[in-house]
Amino acid sequence: MSMMNLEGLPGMQTKPNPGLFKRNPPIAGEADAIERAKNGDPDAFSKLYALHKRRVYTLCLRMLGNVSEAEDMTQEAFLHLFRKLGSFRGESAFSTWLHRLTVNLVLMHLRKKGLNLVSLEETINPSEDDAPKRDFGSRDTQLAGSVDRVTLERAVSSLPPGYRMVFVLHDVEGFEHNEIATMLECSTGNSKSQLHKARLKLRELLRNPEQLPPLAPGKEGV
Amino acid sequence: MSDPAALNNPEENFDNMSVADFEERLPDLVQSGQGKMTEDPRFTTFFEKNPDCAALVRDLEAIAEAARGLFEPAEDEEPSDDLWSKIVKELPGGPSGSPQQALSLSESAPLDEPDGVLE
Repeated sequence: MSMMNLEGLPGMQTKPNPGLFKRNPPIAGEADAIERAKNGDPDAFSKLYALHKRRVYTLCLRMLGNVSEAEDMTQEAFLHLFRKLGSFRGESAFSTWLHRLTVNLVLMHLRKKGLNLVSLEETINPSEDDAPKRDFGSRDTQLAGSVDRVTLERAVSSLPPGYRMVFVLHDVEGFEHNEIATMLECSTGNSKSQLHKARLKLRELLRNPEQLPPLAPGKEGV
Repeated sequence: MSDPAALNNPEENFDNMSVADFEERLPDLVQSGQGKMTEDPRFTTFFEKNPDCAALVRDLEAIAEAARGLFEPAEDEEPSDDLWSKIVKELPGGPSGSPQQALSLSESAPLDEPDGVLE
């Protein structure tokens, strides 16, 4: 997937969408920093880094599950931002644009590594052990109101890569299924199906939190 | 019951939906964009008849809601302090390609955290 014109990709944002700004409201000083950075102001670019480094890093960490790789991809994302900032036209929230750029870089990185996790087959068909069980369970272990952040992070990091990818992109990052389908090169239906299976699997994991593995070193505070 | 458009029909009656049908349609039902199923009066009777289905939906809604809370990173979740200097070293030049600007960047520390979010 070319990274040259993210806003022009099929299924990507091509018109301003007020919904995106609900999730990513404008940050004070951001628009000014973007314009100044486009004009070569080094302080403005460093401000953009300060404004977005945590979100970009966290996104990379969730997608990759590895602190070192997440740092490398965060670096790559900001270098790419530096090169492509001039093509940002303000038709979507800047953070949405930056996150989409980051997601595409991570996916390209994973494809280069030859990992199957974003291939259609692996994404859609995890192994039998990884698939959620078709069991509604009983009400006495229901989760409602008791999903704490740290436990959820541990459960998400335990998901099969294909499930984790769709869950993070949709439920955490707020991308629509058609956008995810474009990024992962699968159908919208597959994205919906994967998300549902991811949530079912998470429910299963969260009902037995004592069986969840600890977070990787350096990720305890996620 | 197989018509997806039925999900968006406020008059659609789900009272007598079978559990098998519920299970088959659940991915669409919980992602229909019509708000929470547990707050949708069209499902009240069905959930009263099938409390395990109600519990499942409550859990899935709780997971989705908790996931939205992960969007904002935790306080202590950030890249290492030296990442900025690594980025600056790799920059080919300023946004306009000027080597002087790259030099300026290397001398400038990243600015403070966000000033805040506009309401």
